[in-house]
Amino acid sequence: MLLAVVQPWPEGKQPTDAALMERILQRDSGALEALYDRYGRPVYSLVLRIAQQPASAEEIVQDVFLQLWRSADRFQISRGPLEPWLFTMARNRALDFLRLKREKQRRREDSDSDILPSAVVNPDPEGDIDRSRRAEQVRALMTSLPEAQRRAIELAFFEGMSHSEIAETTGEALGTVKSWIRGGLLRLKQSLGEASS
Amino acid sequence: MTCEQLNPLYEEYALGVLEGAERAELEAHLARACDKCVPGVAHARWVVSQLALAAPEAQPPGALRGKLMDAVKSSAENARPVASFEKLKSPRTSPLFPVWAWAAAAALALITGYAMHRMNNQYDQMAELRKEMKLAIAQNQALQNQIEMERMVNSVMMSPDSKPLKLMPVDKNMPMVHAYLHPHMGVAITADQMPSMRSARTLQLWFVPKSGKPMSVAIFRPDPMGQIALVAPVNMPQNEIAALAVTEEPAGGSPQPTSAIAWMAQVN
Repeated sequence: MLLAVVQPWPEGKQPTDAALMERILQRDSGALEALYDRYGRPVYSLVLRIAQQPASAEEIVQDVFLQLWRSADRFQISRGPLEPWLFTMARNRALDFLRLKREKQRRREDSDSDILPSAVVNPDPEGDIDRSRRAEQVRALMTSLPEAQRRAIELAFFEGMSHSEIAETTGEALGTVKSWIRGGLLRLKQSLGEASS
Repeated sequence: MTCEQLNPLYEEYALGVLEGAERAELEAHLARACDKCVPGVAHARWVVSQLALAAPEAQPPGALRGKLMDAVKSSAENARPVASFEKLKSPRTSPLFPVWAWAAAAALALITGYAMHRMNNQYDQMAELRKEMKLAIAQNQALQNQIEMERMVNSVMMSPDSKPLKLMPVDKNMPMVHAYLHPHMGVAITADQMPSMRSARTLQLWFVPKSGKPMSVAIFRPDPMGQIALVAPVNMPQNEIAALAVTEEPAGGSPQPTSAIAWMAQVN
């Protein structure tokens, strides 16, 4: 398989995710670079939050984008936008890593010095602004939740725990945990609905 | 369960916390391409994916972009057709690397590529199997719990020491709730044709003592078929119980009743 000879993007106009995915199907590695520049930061942030180890997070992020490159044909743009697909794939990979790590009982923290500062690349300012607005919305909502409710949602999302596992970890009644998570997700849904309308 | 009953569960399903019968019900709707649940879950997946934005912002190492593109190029070159292999056969006056070194490097790259491919496949398969196993365990556990609960309900109902009680509904349109009070085995509650409840609400059973405050006995909800079958321990002497009462409370229950009595039976 050869890398395609690619045409440069028209100046001043950023390609959509769908257009980039089309070009990835034509084996245009530049399109993958563009998607990495667009989503590399939020995906890395998510994976690092779950995996807690910069070196492992780096491997997982590379794996996620390689998977995007290899399995571009499995992504159908008609099913919805790329961002949630990418976030879901990254979360699943990171949670798989976390579960394997837990099974092996050998948690090891990397030193903070592994996090290297690098230049912020911003090829999609509008997309970034929109995401940044949503990020503020989500963080504000999480901050507004009572500590225990926020913790329950974080355990579910970032640590992949089930209702029963969260109840066991927090020592709360199963019904209470279910109610917290259901209530929190409902508020998130309403908040994002208001933001997009 | 109907799509309307499943609707409040979409986000929990997308989050991966939904377990047991509710998860199985929703997956059955998805499996038959339900025109309400499929788009509902798709939207819920988007909502839940946005929690990713709550992660503290971190900048990926600058070298990662280069590593990724090297890996992409390497995977593309590994898959390159062998058309240019003829060039390797042409004599070189002073080759930088001998042919055997190129062949060894190519073999090594192929083996590495194959091993990585297999590892990725196994990784995916393992994740999928783990997911299926978790679901099967949860379903099995839910079924076992249900069988055990039914066995306990039958034991209390059939015991000659049990005192049968009828909890009459305040709302005449609601079905009657049956209770069987046993001095040692506890109190069994059964009902049929109960209406479905909002997810944020639950039913709570109380012992009303001859003097003092009501004592919480159990919180429960009708199953998807509208049935109730449960056994709860008797946590006060039977001769001190004046009545049994059921109220509707916020999910998770309340320390004391917060709404009017919905069902009641006099005991002593």
